[in-house]
Amino acid sequence: MIGLKSTLNVIDNSGALIVECVNVLKNKVNNGWGSVGDEIVCVVKRARPVPAALQASSTAVKVRQGDVRRAVIVRTAKSVRRPDGRVIKFDDNAAVLLNNKREMLGTRIGGIVSADLRMKGWGKIVSLAPKVL
Amino acid sequence: MLSGLCRGLARSMSTATAPYPFSKVAIIPPAPAAPPAALRQGKGLMPYLQRTLPSPEKQKLLDTLFSRRHPDRLLPGSVLTVILNHAPTTFSGVLLSIRRRGPDTSFVLRNVINRTGVEMQFFVSSPHVKEIKVVQGAGGSGGKQGRRMRRAKLFYLRDSPEKMSAISAGIKN
Repeated sequence: MIGLKSTLNVIDNSGALIVECVNVLKNKVNNGWGSVGDEIVCVVKRARPVPAALQASSTAVKVRQGDVRRAVIVRTAKSVRRPDGRVIKFDDNAAVLLNNKREMLGTRIGGIVSADLRMKGWGKIVSLAPKVL
Repeated sequence: MLSGLCRGLARSMSTATAPYPFSKVAIIPPAPAAPPAALRQGKGLMPYLQRTLPSPEKQKLLDTLFSRRHPDRLLPGSVLTVILNHAPTTFSGVLLSIRRRGPDTSFVLRNVINRTGVEMQFFVSSPHVKEIKVVQGAGGSGGKQGRRMRRAKLFYLRDSPEKMSAISAGIKN
């Protein structure tokens, strides 16, 4: 249940560390709350310092504190039901940053993701994750 | 409503082995046994459902692993592995709680994977649950048998990762 002001950990290597949700897209369906597999608009609250070499190059993606980006939720602390009745919940909320065309900004994912992503159409993220549960 | 249920049962029993006319590959399960006389009068519906709803293999699981008094029952704090019919095929974890509701019995396993805690709740009567294996019990006083937990629901383990690692210390996964 990710809504306004919810914080999520970022588990890809885009450079952001913590993002805060500002808006859940497609919220006519889910009453304003986001769950695994939903796209959100978020603000980067804390980011890794951009190394000097990267700062010089103009082609690399630079995620800084205060950026407004899109992300997809990959783990929620709120339990999620699977179609066979199982219930899964994680210890934290996590997201992966995206650009406006629903493509990932980072290149690697460091952490487990929920298998519900596959059902919502994020197969690329599921294939990059080290562990899917 | 109950008389309608009995009429429907009687009807399905009368057509026990008639082939299904609309499909050759449809699987028709065998009709359930005749309801006892007491059930037809509306007595004892819930105990009847508790005996008949789960399949015989699941009923055996419920009677041994999830009963309250059986000597081989599961104790909270034991480490289990659940084998499912579909991917991901196995999930291991510490048993945090058992929720006993007859056919609706379920249990919660907690594990820490890639530094993130994951909890999964499995329903015993689900056809997807193929097998439940006990990796480490929780009956004895430590060592291979595992420490006996003094609580039925171990939700305090969510806040203490050191106690979680103490439980899983002796296991080679």
